[in-house]
Amino acid sequence: MSNTSIVGLEIQGLTKTFNTNKLAVTALDNVDLRIQKGQFVSIVGASGCGKTTLLRIIAGLEGEFTGNIDLEGDPVKGPSAEKGVVFQEHRLLPWLTIEENVGFGLVYRPSEERKSLVDRYLRLVGLAQFAKAYPNQLSGGMAQRAAIARSLVNRPKILLLDEPLGALDAMTRMYMQNELEKIWLEEQTTMVMVTHDVEEAIYLSDVVVLMSCRPGRVKQTIPITLPRPRRRDHPEFVAIKQALLDEFHLQAKEYFNYEI
Amino acid sequence: MSAEQVSGVKPAIFQVAKAVEKVAGSREASRLRRWMETYLLSGWRGRLTGTILPVLVLATWASASALHWVKPIFLPSPWSVVQTFREMLFEEGLLTDFRVSAVIVIEGFLIGAVFGLLAGVGAGLSKTVERLLGPLLNSIRQVPPLAWLPLIVLWVGIGPLAKGVMIGKAVFFPVFLNTLQGIRGVSKDFVEVARIFEYNQILLLRKVVIPAALPSIFVGLRYGAGLAWAVVIAAEMLGGKLGLGYLLVRSQELLLTQQLFVIIVIIGGVGFAVDVVLRRVEGNLLRWKKGFEG
Repeated sequence: MSNTSIVGLEIQGLTKTFNTNKLAVTALDNVDLRIQKGQFVSIVGASGCGKTTLLRIIAGLEGEFTGNIDLEGDPVKGPSAEKGVVFQEHRLLPWLTIEENVGFGLVYRPSEERKSLVDRYLRLVGLAQFAKAYPNQLSGGMAQRAAIARSLVNRPKILLLDEPLGALDAMTRMYMQNELEKIWLEEQTTMVMVTHDVEEAIYLSDVVVLMSCRPGRVKQTIPITLPRPRRRDHPEFVAIKQALLDEFHLQAKEYFNYEI
Repeated sequence: MSAEQVSGVKPAIFQVAKAVEKVAGSREASRLRRWMETYLLSGWRGRLTGTILPVLVLATWASASALHWVKPIFLPSPWSVVQTFREMLFEEGLLTDFRVSAVIVIEGFLIGAVFGLLAGVGAGLSKTVERLLGPLLNSIRQVPPLAWLPLIVLWVGIGPLAKGVMIGKAVFFPVFLNTLQGIRGVSKDFVEVARIFEYNQILLLRKVVIPAALPSIFVGLRYGAGLAWAVVIAAEMLGGKLGLGYLLVRSQELLLTQQLFVIIVIIGGVGFAVDVVLRRVEGNLLRWKKGFEG
């Protein structure tokens, strides 16, 4: 998939500063990142690293930055349907049924097209029989699958996932990781996922991007070439995970030293 | 509820359904049975709790007048009140007075609610509109509806228009304030989702903001409806020669205690009925909202 080698997302010299109460905090400092079309990329790092900020800037939800972001050759200006976003919370509208929620981004399409697309994506995420249910009748994992369907239904050029499985329990989480991989293989959409779960990142990604803290910088990009479906107990898997965790701990130590 | 009472209703429903099946076919029959089961059986059992206290009050009232604890001039018997109601209805044109009050209330409520909604949505969507309207509306709000009566009467007379204006004013504020608050309470998270899907302002309003604010808007509408009914009675008591409020004053002056009771029961009953209807509409629109149900 990654050998097609077409650039999907290109970020150059991205810097973002938040101004709060006369205090300027640099959230992202000179971030460069190049993601190929169809790749699955994870961004990992300790909390407060600017991972989510980076994702929100790509999504067009955060403005006032310097640097360039190009999605398949076009500069990113504001949010748009070609950049799907799945948030940590499912953000389904509670007054719409699952079916209506999944079709939320298709209001401008004719109703037959809308219906067939919604049906197709409900089947893809395994929620066809819950089409008429309301979000509060669904479990956390099911709601998040509906949210994924909602952002895929527009066939976005890129899907941005902000800790999409963060709120789920360990078992559901592993199951959802498999689901996510299945969806990605089937849709071949470029996906960028923010997570703090190193194992999840290695399990799913073609490339893991490790960010350092304060200011947020890209510290390392690690290509993962293990064959899919991956085994979590594969020696190489374990080795990569250990190396990444070591980096993490190193970072944490710096962080705490700095604080003290 | 004991088992026999329930099983007494159920076969009856079954019988009706069977009869319908003969006439109209099985689909209609099963639909009717389901309807009757949900609305009669479960509804009836639930509603029984709410009738306990009214029945107790009625029983106390009946025994108080039957046993001559109180003079009829202060507390007429329930039966004489029912008779007076029949007289008023068939001989004294009670319906005319009722209609006069009801029409004014509906008109005043609609005007107040529409303006309240428009102003609330306007102020909710734009800080500038809120700053523009805020000070003036807040000062007008501090003056109670009845305090406007002398001025309104001076300007437009004592007719239905004066009462309509007062009711409109009374309804406007709860609707306006609750709409504004409802819109301000709409989660930014949902607005972001709509932005991602490139919703324009109108679509955002229709699909996200209004539905999210609806529970709050309904609080305003229900409260406003109660106020409208209360204000019309008060306004009619203070002036005019028609309407339930006028009848109330007249019965007091002529010491027609039975009529007083009739009108009070009607006022209470109508207010109650309006709230039931609004609550049912609300329940239908807000099916998705399942809160703490006790």
